Formats: sequence, C-alpha cells, structure tokens
Amino acid sequence: MTQHSVTHATFTIVRHYDASPDRVFAAWAQKDRKARWYASHAGWRSQDFTLDFRIGGREYLSIAAPDGVVHTFDGQYQDIVPNERIIYSYDMHLDRTRISVSLTTVELKADGTGTKLIFTEQDAFLDGHDTASQRETGTRSLLDSLAAFLATGDPD
Amino acid sequence: MTDRSVTHATFVIERVYDASPARVFKAFSDPAARNRWFVKADNWPIAEYTFDFRVGGRETGRFSPDGTMMVYNETIYQDIVPDNRMIFAYSMMIGDKRISSSLATVELKPEGTKTRLFYTEQGAFLDGLDKVADREKGCRDLYEQLALELERSAAIA
Repeated sequence: MTQHSVTHATFTIVRHYDASPDRVFAAWAQKDRKARWYASHAGWRSQDFTLDFRIGGREYLSIAAPDGVVHTFDGQYQDIVPNERIIYSYDMHLDRTRISVSLTTVELKADGTGTKLIFTEQDAFLDGHDTASQRETGTRSLLDSLAAFLATGDPD
Repeated sequence: MTDRSVTHATFVIERVYDASPARVFKAFSDPAARNRWFVKADNWPIAEYTFDFRVGGRETGRFSPDGTMMVYNETIYQDIVPDNRMIFAYSMMIGDKRISSSLATVELKPEGTKTRLFYTEQGAFLDGLDKVADREKGCRDLYEQLALELERSAAIA
C-alpha cells in the first residue's frame, strides 16, 4: 500500500543582479531568453519547452537528466505585474511521479542601478519524493544561471 | 498604485468530522454537495460558477456580496488522491485587483470511524489588500459549513 504524505515548506532566496528590473523581468517573460538560462543545463537534454507568459497561461518544461530521469515542470501564471512581480503555481514530475506542488513568487525591486530579486517558494512535497533543501539548492543554481545569462548581455 | 507588496504566510486548520474519508472526499468532489457547503456558503448571489474536479481542471466563481463589488475565485486542481488528499492553487480578485494567490492542501486521515482533516494554506497576500487572519477565519467558517453538510447528508442516508 502506498503511504501518502505531504511536507510543507517555504524558502526565500534574495539576489542582486547588475541589470535593470525590466531586463531581469524580460529574462523570465520572453521564451527565447528564458530558454537560455532556465531550460538548458550542461549534460541535460531538453525535450519540450513552452511558455505562455500571461495570467492564466501555462509553462511546460520537460528535460532529461544525465541519468535519463525526465524532470517535468508544469506551471500556471497566477499574477504578473510587469517589471515588478511574477507569481506562478507548478507541479514537478520525475518520470510519471508527481513529487511536489509549489507556489512561487518572484519580486523585483530597483536596487541602485541593478535589481534585487526576492524568490519565495511555498512547497508541498509529496510522498517523501523531494525535500526543501534539495529544492532550494536547485533553485540557487538556477538563479546563478540567470546571473550568468544577464552578464552575457541580451540576445537580439 | 505603485507600492507593491507581498506577505507570505502559512496557516493550518484541523477539524475532525464524524464521517469516513470517502464521505468527506465526496463533499469536495460531488458538484451538488460542493454547491451546498462551498459555493453557496455565504449566500452571495452567484454570477458565474464552473467546476471541473480533476488534475489540471479548474473551478471558477464570480460572486457579488452587494450587487456591485465583484469577487472572483480561480482555482486549478494540481493533485488529487481519492479519499486522501487534494492540492489546488487559487487566486482571488476583488474587482480588477488581485488580492492573493495561494497553494492549498487538504489531507484526510481516517481516525476510527471519523476523519481528521488538515487544511494547509500557503498564501501570497498582495499589496495589503487582504489579511492572513481574515483569510484563515473565512476558511474556518467554510470548514464549519462542511460539518453541517456532512450532518445533513448523514441524516438523508
């Protein structure tokens, strides 16, 4: 018999980027930009990425890890305030197993000539498949990728 | 308004019902039952209501307490384990202002012939337009309505 469990957790990561809030926002809002820092990782094989960036719109990313396990993000935008705030809910699957459901808030605030980004994630981890510390580690690495992307300048 | 703010908060409501997890689950999943204790809980006139109870399905409501102010609720069901748990994300709007986005988990645990329900809401309350304490009170009222619904359906059965 399957033992069902839910572990609730919240974590917050604060970052400063040397880029204006509108450039940081564009890195989340535009598919070609987001694909470069969010949907591609060395050694991982991206299978599908769709981004319908509007309230009620869906984002879907399916990506195979080096070990072959397919990680699927399926999200929905709950709130968007251009250059200021993005809120989305999403679930994660490893292959066919749903491992978590989350609500993520990304807040952007002008900080000198750059941007302070406050990333808050409220999670429900399912059936012992993932932990807050693993999720936070993965998120920190994504926000590093965003810094690297912003440092390279914008694509045309 | 340019002063944007987000208040993140989590609250848990725990309630024991004199009904099996299957009966409690049915009060969430059955449109007629849900209509009685959830949709019509406040006796607000309903302008619009849709309900699609499955993973990826949506529930939307448009209500007006006073005939002028419109309140919107948009829910998407993220996870459903029959008789055991439901997880949904929902946003609330008043007029054209979004006041909150939340992640809500309902867990049903059998306790003898009864059910212990845990409602966990992880909310992002927006721009000072709603208060965590008000939301929690609203939810507590709803879970009292659920108790009345379960008493009514037991009396009929």
